[in-house]
Amino acid sequence: MPKYEPILLKNMLQPGYTGSLAEYERAGGYQAIRKVLGKVSPADVTAVVMKSGLRGRGGAGFPTGVKWGFLPKDYQGPRYLCCNADESEPGTFKDRQLIERDPHQLLEGMLLACYAIGAASSYIYIRGEFVLGAKILEQAINEARAAGYVGKNIFGSNTTIDIWVHRGAGAYICGEETALLESLEGKRGLPRVKPPFPATHGLYNKPTVVNNVETLANLPHILNRGAEWFASIGSPPKSTGTRVFCVSGHVARPGNYEVPMGITFRELIYEQAGGMRSDKKLKAFIPGGASAPFLTPDHLDVKLDFESVALAGSMLGSGGVTVMEEGTDMVWAALRLMEFFYHESCGKCSPCREGSSWLVQIMRRIVNKRGQLADLETLTDLCKNIAGRTVCAFGDAEVSPILSTLKHWRHEYVAMIHAAEAANLIRPEPVGAKQ
Amino acid sequence: MNVAVTTQPKRKPSFGDWLKTLTFYELLVGMKATLTHLLNYKPITLQYPHEKRLLPDNYRGMLALLRYDDGTEKCVGCDLCEAACPSRVIRVVSGEVPGEPTKRYSKEYYMDMTRCLFCGLCVDACPVDALGMTREFEWAVYDKRQLHLNKQQLLAIGDRSFPVREKRLELQHPNVAFFNVTFKHLPQKEN
Amino acid sequence: MPDQKPETVRLTIDGTTVAVPKGTLVIEAARRVGVMIPHFCYHPKLKPDANCRMCLVEVEKMPKLQTACSTPVAEGMAVRTATTTVDDAHKSVLEFILANHPLDCPVCDQGGKCDLQDFSHQYTPTTSRFTETKRIFQKEYFSPLIETQMNRCVQCLRCVRYCDEIMDVKALAPVGRGTMTEIKHFGPHELDCEFCGGCIQICPVGAITSRLSMYEYRPWMLKRADTICTFCGDGCRITVQTKGNELIEVNSAHGAGRNNGDLCARGFFGFHASSDADRLTHPLIRREGKLVEATWEDALEYVAEQALRLKLAHSADAFGGLITSRCTNEDLYVFQKFMRQVIGTNRIDSSARYGHLNGVQALRRVQGTHRWTIAFEDIVAANALLLVGTNITETSPITGLKVKEAVKKRQASLVTMEALQPAIDTLSNITNLALQHFPTHPAQFGNTVLGLTKAVIEGNLVDATLAQQAPAFVQRLTSALQGISWENLEAVTGQTRTQWTETAKILAGANRLVILVGNGVLRHPGGDATVTNLLDLLILLGKLDKPGCGLGPLAEENNDQGAVEMGAVAEFFPGPAPLDDQPVRDRIATVWREELPRTPGASLTEMLAAANKGSLKALFVVGENPVGTLPAEAQAAEALGKLDLLVCQELFLTETAAMAHVVLPACSYMEKDGTFTNSEGHVQGVRQAINPVGDSRPDWEMFSALSVLMGSPLEYGDAREILKEIRTVIPGYGLLGPTPTPPKVDQAVLSGYLTQGFAGDAATRYAVSQPRQTGDGSFTLMFVQTLFHSGKLSTHSKGLLQLQQEGFLSINPEDAARLDLADGGQVKVSNSRGAITTTVKIRERVPAGLLWFPEHFDGEAKQLAEWTIDPRTQIPYFKLAHVSLAKVS
Repeated sequence: MPKYEPILLKNMLQPGYTGSLAEYERAGGYQAIRKVLGKVSPADVTAVVMKSGLRGRGGAGFPTGVKWGFLPKDYQGPRYLCCNADESEPGTFKDRQLIERDPHQLLEGMLLACYAIGAASSYIYIRGEFVLGAKILEQAINEARAAGYVGKNIFGSNTTIDIWVHRGAGAYICGEETALLESLEGKRGLPRVKPPFPATHGLYNKPTVVNNVETLANLPHILNRGAEWFASIGSPPKSTGTRVFCVSGHVARPGNYEVPMGITFRELIYEQAGGMRSDKKLKAFIPGGASAPFLTPDHLDVKLDFESVALAGSMLGSGGVTVMEEGTDMVWAALRLMEFFYHESCGKCSPCREGSSWLVQIMRRIVNKRGQLADLETLTDLCKNIAGRTVCAFGDAEVSPILSTLKHWRHEYVAMIHAAEAANLIRPEPVGAKQ
Repeated sequence: MNVAVTTQPKRKPSFGDWLKTLTFYELLVGMKATLTHLLNYKPITLQYPHEKRLLPDNYRGMLALLRYDDGTEKCVGCDLCEAACPSRVIRVVSGEVPGEPTKRYSKEYYMDMTRCLFCGLCVDACPVDALGMTREFEWAVYDKRQLHLNKQQLLAIGDRSFPVREKRLELQHPNVAFFNVTFKHLPQKEN
Repeated sequence: MPDQKPETVRLTIDGTTVAVPKGTLVIEAARRVGVMIPHFCYHPKLKPDANCRMCLVEVEKMPKLQTACSTPVAEGMAVRTATTTVDDAHKSVLEFILANHPLDCPVCDQGGKCDLQDFSHQYTPTTSRFTETKRIFQKEYFSPLIETQMNRCVQCLRCVRYCDEIMDVKALAPVGRGTMTEIKHFGPHELDCEFCGGCIQICPVGAITSRLSMYEYRPWMLKRADTICTFCGDGCRITVQTKGNELIEVNSAHGAGRNNGDLCARGFFGFHASSDADRLTHPLIRREGKLVEATWEDALEYVAEQALRLKLAHSADAFGGLITSRCTNEDLYVFQKFMRQVIGTNRIDSSARYGHLNGVQALRRVQGTHRWTIAFEDIVAANALLLVGTNITETSPITGLKVKEAVKKRQASLVTMEALQPAIDTLSNITNLALQHFPTHPAQFGNTVLGLTKAVIEGNLVDATLAQQAPAFVQRLTSALQGISWENLEAVTGQTRTQWTETAKILAGANRLVILVGNGVLRHPGGDATVTNLLDLLILLGKLDKPGCGLGPLAEENNDQGAVEMGAVAEFFPGPAPLDDQPVRDRIATVWREELPRTPGASLTEMLAAANKGSLKALFVVGENPVGTLPAEAQAAEALGKLDLLVCQELFLTETAAMAHVVLPACSYMEKDGTFTNSEGHVQGVRQAINPVGDSRPDWEMFSALSVLMGSPLEYGDAREILKEIRTVIPGYGLLGPTPTPPKVDQAVLSGYLTQGFAGDAATRYAVSQPRQTGDGSFTLMFVQTLFHSGKLSTHSKGLLQLQQEGFLSINPEDAARLDLADGGQVKVSNSRGAITTTVKIRERVPAGLLWFPEHFDGEAKQLAEWTIDPRTQIPYFKLAHVSLAKVS
């Protein structure tokens, strides 16, 4: 018996649960939408969600109800809901499980969100690599459509809500909401300049809400059990509800753990995930997916809520906790993440496009024993020049591994450079320095 | 202004003074250099053209076009020397190297040396060090049209003045590998 | 143009307070106070993309630096562009952009006019911290005219956005991710697009340059001359850049001219026509059957002598004159003055005869003006646009851009009646943007317009006040159209009634309705009737004299409009005023100090007939080539062969010039001063860019010299003196450049038309015209203008010849499949007049049953054309043929 009551993972934790429509309904599914449809006004649904304090689970942690409230009230044309299932953050794998094991929970959440914002069409933008997930979703939508839960006049009401699955083509950046919209429109997945925000000019220039899978999956439970119930879980008032944390790395039992927000990292790693995999001590952990800065064992007692983690100099992000044990080469770890960001930089804005390749080349040089002490300064400088000067948050994300490892483990870099100096390998000289 | 004038009492000439006056000593002192030269004569005028002066290291003589060690011309026809020249000595006509698509060179290169100040700004301006100032200065001619030099002549001057040549640019640093290269798979530009 | 005053916003930029309209971007507001914010990706024509991050500025109360190019101004905003933080951001962004840049400025054609170079000088140190290996793109062959060097690219995507947003061609796209992003075109072949050169012009660095002028210049060597393009009626401002006396490049500055800096392939790459090696450089005189070089004195004296002799022996009406509308207004004016005053005949004509007169005559008849009552700005601001037979992308590309802007940026409703199929292609296709498209057979434009008028009347969309003011007009039209059944119309045109009805509603609902008529109507039988009917449609909708509404016929040649206004046509004196207009006749006579000839004029076809009969003895031909242009049936060669004196003023030794007794080398538009009047009636200055090629002289100088030799001198010092005289004769020429307000509908003429003017030919105009029955095969062959050429002049341009070298037959894929024709295969095109063999090109935009052949290469092919002469307007039509096809294996 788990210590905390699972909410999102409750169904799939039942042995033999396949996620079919029948089983979902047996477990109390599609009750929230029935309760709401035609009986509660969309504005009231939004009010309930706002009251619950539900915050976006994709990374930024923006209050969901507030986001919905940004849609223009008197707009006559179509509005859209997009479910962001482009889960590509290294170390995050919660949405995948939510989709593959309990698709109807998500669909119900989407129906509720669509009803609240008045959208007749909604799209699930699913990561291209989730072949199975896309298939399961398609199947679930077909089931729901056959049952009259999705499509025209759902549940016999005069409301029309349709859901479509759109598979991505394998770009990390399409997890950024505006890039996702561009990609969904059939264009190149590049982030848009904000403002205007998707709430007013989103998909096809129409008001659009983009929500994460986990956010949407929470909705049926909030509407079933009430905003007060939800707001009482976690560490109110700011971080309410539970979160599915994806613990990976050098722990004994990696996996998804649904815990209320506000427990400490120590509890998550040592109690839930069974502690370290060997007798080596914990050296570092990433608290919220690859784009969150590294934290050290000193931060183990930080609470798992948005504010506390931010205060510790990182972010809760997408909830992917990656744990590294003593003996991990932090320079190499930073390079590994940097390689990922270099590969995934979309190339729209100059600092990120050129900076990521520059950073990765310096890092490779340091790891390959051709570094210089001056490189560390260049690294810091370049990172500062990228962060905050790009169109989307990718720029801030890509520098965090380097900046945080440089902050906490600078000595490892220095040691590596000293080794390089001892090896006395040829270093390139700058262009323009005439002999 | 009040200046106290004090008159110095007149000194009585000594015997030494008297002797100096008598023997024209001051005159002899003044003539010392002349008289020394009179005795050990050594002319300082060089007997040009039989004798030649030693030129200082930074001597700025005749201009020349240079080549790389594989014999290819350095000049890329960028016209920067033409732009830098204060007295409009240089005229460059640039174009694509025949048979080497997208590579730029100077199709024609002229220097009107009658106007040259030998200021060396063109050499400074050259981004590929294709221009050099030689130590040649014997360029007196009967017909000033002979000082209107073309590319072949300038290259020839370079050849005889700079026997030691540089390696090609792209072999000096990998990061300039993409500077003025040819792409054989492209069609030649039509002229 | 909407007149309401825009809201203004006050903000502070670097301490200076400025008031700008709401919605202005910070970067634009800064420019107003003289603060230049560095940028690459921003361009006033394009939507902000904010990808280069170069324009970061500090905005008070915003935590992060903001991009000035995407941030709209807000009331009370305080922007700082010169703080340390901002400077630091500029430096760092530039450092990133320069990291992978090859720094090959010495060999880059952009060096000297490069934004990246300028900003680097301003912001970065001379050495770089980047010691890693630079990213290198493999060089791919792009096109014979456009050179790319992707290593220099800063990925600002201006070219891609321009190609999509402005040109609607979408030929370019970024390919690859991150630092490996490069700009490429689609398909595994060299670039195939409209070749507008926009990407070259808009590239802030040297990544996309013109291969035509590659390595031939440095920006500081070039001399610039602002002049007007000669390749269509749009009248685009071009800046001709020359080195020495060599033509190097043509471009157009943003914000300059009617084209606002946009050009087409002809304008951008076509300039070499003037410096072609085949240009005539000396006068030629026929001696012993051969044309031999002669001096100007000999040639002119010979012409003067012969002309005087013939004038004595016969009458003044034994002379004729023919001039091309590519000439400047000054040339045209002196030409007609020479013919009317020195020779004393009205027998003159110009290439406006080929179709533009159809439009002008209709406008004069209905609204009393000879010019458009609209301007390009009205096209952009229109709510609804109707294009009839324009094929606007290929004939008037820049007017096309205005239409695209109206549709794409301002959501105007576009209705097209075109002999075009909406297909995505390498060229933009205006019908793709249309809300309603009527795929129309070239002979059915009149009937399709009838359907629309019928739908307007039957849909009760007729303006209420009109029905009261001109009941006779409305009733006559109503009864005429009631006599035509929908079934009949549908059967003939292939359109549906519902579409007409829908379209009528769109047009009636628009506040600002603009109709553009193109060569598909003007150069085909029934052209003037169709234009008049379209004007009737505007009247019925009550929109003819509304602001922002009107009809514009598109001229094919750059100065068609000027030729008519200068009176270089048989039926008009300068003005244009009809030959029987006594006040005008008197006014001109006082300026000329001589009586104007009273004999009737003669059009081109009449002159040819007269020459054939032997009553025309001498012909002055200026830049026209009737032998090369007209089909054999016109019997131009026979007619000209019978002349006693044929004088040609030409750039090249054309078919006509080869028959001449004297050939005088003329200057092209690059070598002379003057003015052109474009389609919309804007008189614009033409400025000399290079010295005359060889011994060539401007056309007016030759007439001036001849007049002196013939004893009644027309002496002018330069083109400006002629313009001065033109101003005294024609009121509209007081101002150069854009006319401040387009002419208004003349209410007197309009009411005259509504009471009785319309009635004369209402019966013929409002009757279904039946297609001509010929036994000549099932395909309709159209001789069309293509985007890459203009008349025969551009076939001397080496740049354009690389885009299109020869004639080919464009055919619909279905037809091609039916006849088993492959792209690039040979086909025999034949009818009772003859047969030719040519290459096939399969193009989806060609409607089924139609064939296109470029008129620029119609040498052999024109013998197939049907030759008809409009008995009323004397306009010859020869752009259509009925043919059958057979595959040649």
